[in-house]
Amino acid sequence: MKTKILLVLLAAGALWSVRPAQAHHAFAAEYDEKKPVTLTGIVTKVQWVNPHGWIYMDVKQPDGKVKHWTIETAGPSQLSRHGLKKADFTDGMSAVVKAYQGLKDPALANGRTLVLADGRSFYVGSVGGPNDGADR
Amino acid sequence: MSQAYRESLYLFALTQSLHLVAVTTFFGAILIGDLRLLGWGPVAQSRAGIARSAQSVLLWAGLAVLVTGIPQFTTHALTYQRSPIFVFKMCLLAAALAFTATLRQRVAAADEGRLPSWVPRAVGAVSLALWMGVTISGRLITFFG
Amino acid sequence: MPSIVPALEWLEGLAWTTAIRESVWGYPMIETAHVASIVAFAGLVIMMDLRLVGLAFTHAPLAQIQRRLFPWQIAGLVPSTATGLLLCCIDPMRYYGNVFFRVKLVLLALAGLNALAFHLKTYRRAERWDEDPQATATARLAGAVSLLLWSATIVSGRLIAYNWFK
Repeated sequence: MKTKILLVLLAAGALWSVRPAQAHHAFAAEYDEKKPVTLTGIVTKVQWVNPHGWIYMDVKQPDGKVKHWTIETAGPSQLSRHGLKKADFTDGMSAVVKAYQGLKDPALANGRTLVLADGRSFYVGSVGGPNDGADR
Repeated sequence: MSQAYRESLYLFALTQSLHLVAVTTFFGAILIGDLRLLGWGPVAQSRAGIARSAQSVLLWAGLAVLVTGIPQFTTHALTYQRSPIFVFKMCLLAAALAFTATLRQRVAAADEGRLPSWVPRAVGAVSLALWMGVTISGRLITFFG
Repeated sequence: MPSIVPALEWLEGLAWTTAIRESVWGYPMIETAHVASIVAFAGLVIMMDLRLVGLAFTHAPLAQIQRRLFPWQIAGLVPSTATGLLLCCIDPMRYYGNVFFRVKLVLLALAGLNALAFHLKTYRRAERWDEDPQATATARLAGAVSLLLWSATIVSGRLIAYNWFK
């Protein structure tokens, strides 16, 4: 009897786990998928590191003030797979980033698309983000 | 409910962490069983005896894994199913579950001396390989997408 | 007390730590090995703790389970610790500033102390565990504390990934 319960439970588990899951460190726990932002500004610093990369950007607001954004990206394993290289970043370069704003921190964002000054566009999103097609 | 749950950041993270404890317990039960199948670990106990005890733990831990895992699904479809590593992990997981519930279960429960000694060893090795594969490929999804 | 930050920054600036931090394969392999070995180690510790509190493997004498599992627990502990130390070297400033990492270290120390205390007792009273109710009560407590501490360690380890406190 116990074996049968085990079998049913395990089968249910396997079926459940086939559904799209958010196993990673939870986009939903840190970022708001209802708050997409497009950030145009100057890249002041880049951290090309594991497990996540970081892009620091100064973005001029409509009121003239400059907002300092911290944008989380995927790590080098994924970025290089999409064609981006550490050498593509120079301090002071301008860029456009499409991202999702942080839930608790309004100056934090989860980066999805990076467009460099030369027009090249890269998917920089971490695994487990919203299904917005940015990775295609 | 999914919305309110998601907005409770800490609850989400806590559930995810408890999920990890449940997964670790599940793997612990698998591992002690596989060690015994390989002729290591608690050798003073029979394979069947260890398997019976481990099975109780597997059931409860498995239930905990499901219960703590379900709230993590969101109503919005996420991008996982396009990840080849994710698909690979899911196939491995299905194979591991099927193997555990059928062949491994039968071999572990068999009386001592009924099977040639290489059989439980082979089953233990295959089980370890499958479940280690699930763990490893699961982690690699984060890095390689 | 002198700050360890200069030493950490020196570590962070080394060529090999930087290379792994920025790597495509190196870091994923080390981190995966860390998680996999922790799961193996902690999984076996949890099995022994379940026996200690009398929830599983109760048909087996306590001393036998403990003695037979111990070498395999150590086999899991060694790579866990080695990869953990390596990860600390690779990104020292990140972990230094992370509250969950600090909590994890404290919990690890407590779990280690609990394990040491239990271990020192076991070799003296191993045979008596299953007959002596006092020894059984002590074992139950040690097992419950161990379960709690190792679970908390796993949880705090997982929470390191969150950047809630900056």
